[in-house]
Amino acid sequence: MKRNPFLYYGQKALTFLMSVLVLSLVVFYVARLAPGDPLVSYYGERAEKMSVEERAWAEEKLGLRDPIYVQYVRWLSGALHGQFGRSFKYKADVLEVIGGRAGNTLILGGIGFLLIFGLSLLLGVFCAWFEDRLPDRALCRVGTAVSCIPEFWLALVLILLFAVSLRLLPSSGAYSVGKADDWGDRALHLVLPMAVVVIDHLWYYAYMIRNKLLEEVRADYVLLARSKGMGKRQVLFRHCLRNILPSYLSIMAISVPHILGGTYIIETVFSYPGLGTLSYESARYHDYNLLMVLSMLSGVIVILCSILAQILNEQLDPRMRSPQAPGAGEEGGHG
Amino acid sequence: MAALLEVKNLSVSFDTAAGEVQAVRDVSFSLSGGEVLAIVGESGCGKSVLCRSIMKLLPDNARMKSGQILLDGADVTGYRERDMRRLRGRMFSMIFQDPMTSLNPTLPIGRQIGEAVLVHQPKLKRAAVRRRVLELMELVGIEDPEARYSLYPHNFSGGMRQRSVMAIALAANPRLLFADEPTTALDVTIQAQILDLLRDIQQKLGTAAVLVSHDLGVVARAADRVAVMYAGKIVETGTVEEIFYHPRHPYTWGLMRSLPAFARDGQPLYTIPGMPPALVDPPRGDAFASRNEYALAIDYEEMPPLFRITDTHYAATWLLDPRAPAVTPPVGGEPDV
Repeated sequence: MKRNPFLYYGQKALTFLMSVLVLSLVVFYVARLAPGDPLVSYYGERAEKMSVEERAWAEEKLGLRDPIYVQYVRWLSGALHGQFGRSFKYKADVLEVIGGRAGNTLILGGIGFLLIFGLSLLLGVFCAWFEDRLPDRALCRVGTAVSCIPEFWLALVLILLFAVSLRLLPSSGAYSVGKADDWGDRALHLVLPMAVVVIDHLWYYAYMIRNKLLEEVRADYVLLARSKGMGKRQVLFRHCLRNILPSYLSIMAISVPHILGGTYIIETVFSYPGLGTLSYESARYHDYNLLMVLSMLSGVIVILCSILAQILNEQLDPRMRSPQAPGAGEEGGHG
Repeated sequence: MAALLEVKNLSVSFDTAAGEVQAVRDVSFSLSGGEVLAIVGESGCGKSVLCRSIMKLLPDNARMKSGQILLDGADVTGYRERDMRRLRGRMFSMIFQDPMTSLNPTLPIGRQIGEAVLVHQPKLKRAAVRRRVLELMELVGIEDPEARYSLYPHNFSGGMRQRSVMAIALAANPRLLFADEPTTALDVTIQAQILDLLRDIQQKLGTAAVLVSHDLGVVARAADRVAVMYAGKIVETGTVEEIFYHPRHPYTWGLMRSLPAFARDGQPLYTIPGMPPALVDPPRGDAFASRNEYALAIDYEEMPPLFRITDTHYAATWLLDPRAPAVTPPVGGEPDV
């Protein structure tokens, strides 16, 4: 019996579409119900001096006078045709505005994610190997303390230390003025934000690896593997690590939005021109069209990652695949 | 002939938050090649710990306080992990209680058996490993091994899983097999099959075995000799006939009387009164004294030594002291001379 792939992926796709639809509806309503004046983001200071008629005219022009559901339907039909509207603040197509920033966030978040993934695995295995001995105990304490430091504070301390006192690294931006194409300069600008991203998330995942490994090490199959003559290291890498990888991969897939959220804050502190700073601005100034696309983008990433995690889990852990081989459940013996 | 396994005055303790748990206290026994020794006793009497301490597979908080372990005449007491690894699998290996948890759920059965083959013959070719695995699967009575080679543990029934565990344990032709309650987690109908298989293979390959069990029925079916353990000590040891027909220790009497086969019509099944003592602070004297209806005053004061009854039959109870009053045993026939 084989699973029908069309049905399987169709189901996943349907889940995805439904989630995205609900998400867009909620964000749309919440953004518009939140207090604040969207005209400020379009007209700046002038908005405060507008007369009632002028305001009415401006709101009419921006389509803000209709009931929210009418606005939503209008937005949705535009979105389905690839028209996401213009940014109030930048007076440009939102996709263009986002396109200019997405690369920076992708570099910061992507490389940060890979670093966290690799380092936490190393650190977790290291701690599990030295369980309850000095290296493990020291790392557990330091790690827990470090991971409790808020991102923004850590960022400020690092700026103070490396940018202000030691003058080794730049404190903000993605590149120095006039050096947009200089990759060395860009890399230097990345060091501090990247350090904060990694330091702040690393221990959480390393500790998870450590604990999952220790749970596995206590399992009976480890005893059997050792009683057949395998060494402790062989068992740890060939059996235990293999068994935690599925759940680790799915955790890492879920961690993508977590890390992404972290970069948003870090970008703001470092004035790093990425999606994080953009989201912050758009929410603050009621730049509805921009906010919608940014929220949808983050949401889509979150949902895609969880679906990916689920598929990964099912692929890697044979127990999560349902079909049973025929006759396998029957006792094969005699006597 | 030197014994295959000889354990002398072995004591094993666990360091826990509650204090030192004396799981095995001054245990001595020996086993010759091809022989099956059953170790029986209540849960927590130290049976499993005894086996694992011989294979040095105890958790980190356990330590061997005293004693000596001789394998084939060689003293392995001080062996380190590296030396032990060479012995495990080839010299001795182990079968565990619950075959569901003793197999790795994410690896195909064939691969797990193959691993056991490869550990001791790392240079073996892939095809040769496969051949050997299929041979082992056949040996333990897994029908159609070709088709089942790449199945996972969850595709197998409990009995087949235990057969696979046996194939793993036998992969490197060990001379001694520890079977730690191998049938406890299985269906009653499967229990007998596995036990017969164990006996079969043991006789075919000439493997000696230590069979840990709390089930006297299992023991009677499979063992040559029996050691009864209580509170970390061996209290009686003898051949199967001696233990079943002429038990001498009050604890063994209690175990026998607790068997449903001994229950009489209309009377409730006998149970040994009280609870086994905590091994954190074992009582002075005979640990069984407070539950023993035949206890003598001296039982509360001094630990009884093992009294010799025959060359194979020993029991640690003051009742065997010449000065003790005569007691009619509640089970068993005439005391053997």
